Amino acid sequence: MELSSPGGTELPATDATALDRLRRFGGPKLLGEMITLFLVAAPERIAVARTAVAGGDVEGAERALHSLKSSAAQLGAMRMQRLSEQGEQRARTGTLEGLAQLTQELDDEFARVSEWLTHARNEGVA
Amino acid sequence: MTTIAIVEDNADNRLLLQAILDGLYELVEYENGIDALAGLAASLPDLVLLDISLPGMDGNEILARIRADDTLRKLPVIALTAHAMSGDREKYLAAGFNDYITKPIVDETLLLSAIERWLTASRLGRS
Repeated sequence: MELSSPGGTELPATDATALDRLRRFGGPKLLGEMITLFLVAAPERIAVARTAVAGGDVEGAERALHSLKSSAAQLGAMRMQRLSEQGEQRARTGTLEGLAQLTQELDDEFARVSEWLTHARNEGVA
Repeated sequence: MTTIAIVEDNADNRLLLQAILDGLYELVEYENGIDALAGLAASLPDLVLLDISLPGMDGNEILARIRADDTLRKLPVIALTAHAMSGDREKYLAAGFNDYITKPIVDETLLLSAIERWLTASRLGRS
């Protein structure tokens, strides 16, 4: 699947320095807890965004994507961050056009990020 | 110990702030504006970290109510936001926030120095 910039594939999908930063803030314990929270919260926020898009709720979609953007960036899920930001900005202009497709892309990207973070959590705790 | 109130609906952001601030400050957490305004009035902290994007009452409205309240109006309030657009900083300062920190938190020293700067200013203002 090809995406247009800024969600595109030309930029790195993940940034491991974000995980190093979390270890610095609170060791492997914080890193593990942040990953666990993200793995639960991110799919919930994508689901909230999808429901909002389906129901024509521009503000709800904007807020869910805004939360997702912030959390994804903190965990180094940069492609998810770019996709969320793209959607947030579109919603802020008052349109939900293309956002159903975007939430699908977020789902697909989350599946990849989930593997990456699960691996990092296992490594970090070991 | 100096008390900082954190108003933030996302559990991951609260956990991160705890990791950075725990041990340095006493922390009190609120997940929404209604609870925060009631809690701040009942037990005045030394400083507030206020998320902008909250369900229901957002950070801008909470700030407006803080600044309109005789008991709360002098509280130092630092905005926490992922809305990093150019011109945002000026907008938040003009709205009455003392300072502005962007999420994700990349450099914790920016947060810590902003907190200390406004705690100091607040103490000087009271003495």
